[in-house]
Amino acid sequence: MTGRGSPSRFLAAVLHNGVGRYVRQLQRLQLLFSPTAADARGARQFVEEAAQDFARQHPDVVLYVSPHSGPGQAPVLRAEYLNGTVREELVASRTSEEIVQLATKLANQSGLDIIRIRKPFHTDNPSIQGQWHPLTNKPSILTVQGPRLQPQ
Amino acid sequence: RAFWGGRSRKEEKEVAADRAVPEKEERSEPSLLCPPPCSRSYLPPEDLQSRLESCVREVFGPSLPKDWQQTPLGENRLKHRLLARLAAELGHAVPNSQLHQMRCAGDVLGFYRMPVKDGTTFDELAAAELPPNLKIVWQQ
Repeated sequence: MTGRGSPSRFLAAVLHNGVGRYVRQLQRLQLLFSPTAADARGARQFVEEAAQDFARQHPDVVLYVSPHSGPGQAPVLRAEYLNGTVREELVASRTSEEIVQLATKLANQSGLDIIRIRKPFHTDNPSIQGQWHPLTNKPSILTVQGPRLQPQ
Repeated sequence: RAFWGGRSRKEEKEVAADRAVPEKEERSEPSLLCPPPCSRSYLPPEDLQSRLESCVREVFGPSLPKDWQQTPLGENRLKHRLLARLAAELGHAVPNSQLHQMRCAGDVLGFYRMPVKDGTTFDELAAAELPPNLKIVWQQ
């Protein structure tokens, strides 16, 4: 029931991205697949048809296409972000359109962990005029410390 | 699938065995140890139609309809003679799976008009103009 078993974080942007300029957090995408495996057919079609369009639409992401080293390895799409996060997604037995959608989704993400977000809001300035406390709007004599006023 | 340059396991074993031989021999006589595979590329020549017409007239002789492209290839002997002669002349043969589609000389003309590319799609892609943020690393 509680969320204490799994990790959680607060809503945040990497280095206040978007407040001023916006920098895409995805640094590079690596598409590793075998040239002959059957489950890499979607990956091959993606490279033949859609990779150039994707690269043109996202000029700040570098797309590397290379063969997989080792026998019998599944095709994988690896995303590396500016904060060092590396996210690998299996693209075995996926069509070319699905891979395009997946790549677009990865390109729009920041590299922050995908865990429970405690609050859907965050602000660095929660109060402008000062947080209320019980002595707000009370005569300031109540906060004076010193010898007691003589009872009259 | 052939475009992606997939090699069968047998070829890979042969290449591995060849690499075991010292490289000096390979450099001096590359053609004997690792002969390059024969390229299946075919480009239709410019005078394709006239060549085909002359072949058809030679093989079929006098029994030709008005339009030589409508010549039916029903008789197997003449069909084989014609296709064998064209294969020898142009260096490109009709594969067995498409023989049944060659019903008249016009079909044969259409088949020989289509060029056949050699080389993997990846090699072509890597050589073509790519946007600067797309890198294809394909060394095989």
